[in-house]
Amino acid sequence: MNPILQVENIKTHFDVTKGLFSKKQIVKAVDGVSLEVYEGETYGLVGESGCGKSTLGRTIVKLYEPNSGVIKFNNNDISDIKGKELANYHKDMQMIFQDPYASLNPRMTVGEIIKEPMIIHKIYENDEKREEQVKFLLEIVGLKPDHIRRYPYEFSGGQRQRIGIARALALDPKFIVCDEPISALDVSIQAQVINILKKIQNEMKISYLFIAHDLSMVKHISDRIGVMYLGRLVESGLSNDVYHNPLHPYTKALLSAVPIPDPKIARSKERIALKGDIPSPINPPKGCTFCTRCSQATDRCFNERPSTIDIDNHKVACFLYE
Amino acid sequence: MALLQIDNLQTSFTSEQGVVKAVRGVSFSVDKGEILGIVGESGSGKSVTMFSLMGLLANNGKIVGGDILFNGQSLVPSNYNTYKEYKQVISKIRGNTIGMIFQDPMTFLNPVLKIKTQLMEPILNHHKVSRKEAYNRAINLLKQVGIPSPEKRMNQYPFEFSGGMRQRIVIAMALACTPSLIIADEPTTALDVTIQAQILELIDSLRNKTDAGIILITHDLGVVAKLCDNIAIMYGGMIVEKGSAEDIFYNAQHPYTLGLLGCISNPEKDEDELTPIPGSPPDLLKPPAGCPFVDRCQKAMKVCKYHMPYKSVITKEHSVSCWLQDERSK
Repeated sequence: MNPILQVENIKTHFDVTKGLFSKKQIVKAVDGVSLEVYEGETYGLVGESGCGKSTLGRTIVKLYEPNSGVIKFNNNDISDIKGKELANYHKDMQMIFQDPYASLNPRMTVGEIIKEPMIIHKIYENDEKREEQVKFLLEIVGLKPDHIRRYPYEFSGGQRQRIGIARALALDPKFIVCDEPISALDVSIQAQVINILKKIQNEMKISYLFIAHDLSMVKHISDRIGVMYLGRLVESGLSNDVYHNPLHPYTKALLSAVPIPDPKIARSKERIALKGDIPSPINPPKGCTFCTRCSQATDRCFNERPSTIDIDNHKVACFLYE
Repeated sequence: MALLQIDNLQTSFTSEQGVVKAVRGVSFSVDKGEILGIVGESGSGKSVTMFSLMGLLANNGKIVGGDILFNGQSLVPSNYNTYKEYKQVISKIRGNTIGMIFQDPMTFLNPVLKIKTQLMEPILNHHKVSRKEAYNRAINLLKQVGIPSPEKRMNQYPFEFSGGMRQRIVIAMALACTPSLIIADEPTTALDVTIQAQILELIDSLRNKTDAGIILITHDLGVVAKLCDNIAIMYGGMIVEKGSAEDIFYNAQHPYTLGLLGCISNPEKDEDELTPIPGSPPDLLKPPAGCPFVDRCQKAMKVCKYHMPYKSVITKEHSVSCWLQDERSK
């Protein structure tokens, strides 16, 4: 299998310097991440808020420009493309956003919303064909074709997210970045959306980058998982490996903090307590970014950045495994 | 006598489209030292139940039936001669013997007031103490909720705290007057999992330390599994099933409870498929005459559509409102 998306050592930094004479302050939101996503697979990206997972997703879709590093899509370097090339890239690379209330224009009908990308990219010759396609897409995501003339406010959160999915599918993309598509939804609706995404993937062979902070749902949809902490990928591997045999102390703590919907197991299970909060990405720790909260940290962790070690395709950035 | 007893509570809102029956006959009780989990989706009426209890309903909202007894005292406005009288009673209770923890700590805290001011306010309001005494109590509260260097933190503003720390401050404020009942409305929804685990542990330790009754409102069954003694499942403004944590997780009877359990993922087990509940919650402007879950229920019968199911008692604690429990359906 060929990787459809290759990200090599990507860095996205934001300048947050305040005032004319103050010291330069840079948020290193994504600070050297490398990953590959293969055709037809789902790569789950998990981490707490502020770890840079959404920034990475947006950088891949080219909503942000990376400061350095290479993004390859179908073996073409797309890190610096502009104009027409970028528009072509967006035909294959689409995005589903987190908030279904903010990501749909309230003054456009469902039909107009889904049709817009088709018009911009001029992929159908007339409006009838486009309308036909919109109806087809609505059916795929489990809405009715006669919803086409309605406005977003007439729909519930779960239905809106389906409209967002239909819009992402409008250009028949090869890759979709899903940025927390279910975290704003009710539990019973989350499973509906996950199942729709899975169905679409099976039928259309689309690859997903699935960004989430909810580890239990990510497991259900992902083939492989990457765990991010403060702009870096600390662990990645097959979803089963990461869940059943987490290596990095952060992954272990994160997994043990997931609430388990079973009273007997939940009450008997020991939690690995993490002290404190995630440090500020403006001044991340010098050594391993996790050293301030890690119970196994040594002097070396505070002074030296661990490099990524590959153990049977299960990658971890931690000195414990050298 | 139970600490809090709610009987057949009904709350409605008037709107331009008509009357929204947000809560349609809810009954439960909470004892000292008990944690009751109320689980439901958005629009199920779980927050409105709590707002009714606290007297925080919006102007168009009204308790139209039922009773709320807190320590034997009624907290329903219509049981008082004048609304003013009710106001006096509820404002003595709110923030004093009933503490509240809300979902979003940033909107709950006043951004332009120091933590000191906000923490001392409920103490000064409800107790006749000097500012010095109130200050010392506030320091103790911060220590109790695990905030390091409290003296320094007292002089800071909310924006200087992280999300988890802010939620700790909100919890400290709820505890300010040693309440006998704490209502936590989605206290961890805005937080990350590792911080969520810290906050849940804190809530659990409070129960042991203070012996207060706690109502934990959430949509996350994973959160209630560890913490709660009893769980009530709400749907369409009603409690559809109620029981101990074990009853709900191992012996659920209502199709909605089963459906909820089917669409959450257990990281300890390897299930293959999630089974979502089809459809979406009912419109409470025009709730179905029968069971609110009828349109999404796989096992719905004709009777479910037209007649409200009665409460069937399975064990002393475990009850369920579903026609499937009726002898005639078997």
